Amino acid sequence: MLLKLAWRNIWRNKRRSLIVVLSVLVGVNAILLIDALMNGMLYQILFNQISLSVSHVQVHKSGFNNNKVVQNYIENPGEVEYALNNNKLVKSYSKRVITFGLLSSASNSTGVYIYGVDPGIEDKISIIKESVIEGSYLSDTNRDIVIGQKLAEKLKVGIGDKVVAMASRPDGSIGSDVFRIAGIFKTPSSEFDKLNIFITLTSSQQLLNIPGKVHEFAVITNDYELSNNLRNELKSTLTEDYEIQSYEDLLPFVIIQLDIYKESLFVINLIIGLALIFGIINSMLMSVFERINEFGVLMSIGMKNNKIFLMVLMEAFVIGTAGTIFGVISGYLINIPLSINGIDLSFFSESLESLALGSVLYPQLSLANFVMTLLLIPFISVAGAFYPAFKAIKLDPVNAIRYVR
Amino acid sequence: MEIIRTENLKKVYQDNGVPVEALKGINLAINRAEHVVIAGPSGSGKTTLLNLLGALDKPTRGKIFFEEKDFSGKTKKELSEFRLKNLGFIFQAYNLIPVLTALENIEFSMMLLGIPEKERHERSMKLLEELEIEDLADKRPGEMSGGQQQRVAVARAIVNNPKLVLADEPTANLDSKTGGKLLDLMERMNADKKITFIFSSHDQKVIERAKRLLILEDGQIVSH
Repeated sequence: MLLKLAWRNIWRNKRRSLIVVLSVLVGVNAILLIDALMNGMLYQILFNQISLSVSHVQVHKSGFNNNKVVQNYIENPGEVEYALNNNKLVKSYSKRVITFGLLSSASNSTGVYIYGVDPGIEDKISIIKESVIEGSYLSDTNRDIVIGQKLAEKLKVGIGDKVVAMASRPDGSIGSDVFRIAGIFKTPSSEFDKLNIFITLTSSQQLLNIPGKVHEFAVITNDYELSNNLRNELKSTLTEDYEIQSYEDLLPFVIIQLDIYKESLFVINLIIGLALIFGIINSMLMSVFERINEFGVLMSIGMKNNKIFLMVLMEAFVIGTAGTIFGVISGYLINIPLSINGIDLSFFSESLESLALGSVLYPQLSLANFVMTLLLIPFISVAGAFYPAFKAIKLDPVNAIRYVR
Repeated sequence: MEIIRTENLKKVYQDNGVPVEALKGINLAINRAEHVVIAGPSGSGKTTLLNLLGALDKPTRGKIFFEEKDFSGKTKKELSEFRLKNLGFIFQAYNLIPVLTALENIEFSMMLLGIPEKERHERSMKLLEELEIEDLADKRPGEMSGGQQQRVAVARAIVNNPKLVLADEPTANLDSKTGGKLLDLMERMNADKKITFIFSSHDQKVIERAKRLLILEDGQIVSH
């Protein structure tokens, strides 16, 4: 009956209650939009990094990550292949030769990371093939090379032009080869595009004179969340001669950002919630002051303070919950087209591309976002009603009954 | 047998820093099932006395005994409980809860006592029938006349079978015919249910029908 009374009290002043519900709804939408943008941004950075080159798990010769010299190749790739072929968590993997070298065109030269990949397999691991915007991806032709758009601009080269790649060999000599530009790619990361070139695995092995050797196995699992499991399994299968790392080990900064975001999510929601509290306090105070006489009667007939207090809190809870539910529904509906079509932020593209984000941001809402909002905002609404409820129970019944508005 | 008794009851208000003595040492005793009218001109202290007897206000000095127990030292919470279990109130302006129907208004004080919903409903409906206002059950106060609202207020006041009902100028807002009917009703409840009624009024018709009349002037009882 107390809930019934609270519910009917809310609808006494429909306009005021609807304004409060609306303000909660707008606040909830703001929270969900911020959550979705932050979520989308960080996961986009993470997944772009994973799909550019990091993959889910990488296997190298021990010490490679600290010292990426050509000599740190895997002596016996077959041993790793055997371990990967016999692990059920592995979806696919790609062998890579990686070294630092010099790429020269007729007009310029620059330092680059040379990736030697198997074109038929690499497209299952990375997005380079689908990022080609001009020309075509690597074929089995040994003289093909694909480079980033920024690098092509720097070297002033286009499709079909010749470039020379030079790199140190394990014996200290310099290997060099001429390549013809087959394709130009543009990934979400402009930094990646400036610094990385792709040639076939065979031609890279020829360039470095390391036939049959590779520097890296890039592995994709069925579910990225199983990456650490796969890392641990491979660590137990392979010897300590190998360095096995998941994307979490390889991208610590992004992972820390994600963790900080998850922890700060509550704080962001709380700050917006605090702004909402003042609306609730104002509305509930007005509602209490409009009913001073009634509170006097309720006290006279023996309604105890705790029940009066509870009744005022209930009113705020119902309003807050209604606003939150409508807000969550509208927030979800607004997020559907945004998450599908993305938000075009091309006017910020320079900075976004340097963050490996791309120029279109796809907001993303998780169940945790909804649950936190659904739990937090009604609670905040109730918190906002504490002061008005306190004012109500502090009324003196004699004066309250006589009170004339 | 006494239901309520006061000893040297005094109440002093501060009016802009000036002390105003509203009650100047009231001594009275009211027996169970009595029907008492406290009469007197405006400002004589009728409402103040009723508020003190109803445990809504605390005396500046003196004691109030309800069934021989002094309640002047009780806490706010204890006084709420005391009012809920022992007293019924009827106000001049009816003061029903506007968002509740007549039936719900009557049920409300039973809800506060923790009486189950089914029993609440049955007792309220029975009382509405007894007061011949069962057709008002689903109406809200805004849909009722003053007389109808006051009858519902009477029902609300007596539904928990209180030992004492305090009515502050219950007929003041009613025309004489409606007021007369209301007095009939309360006299019937007094006779049938043995509920003690204390009215405050300066309405001559109420005063004429009083079984016991206390006249208050300048905070003192001048006639028993």
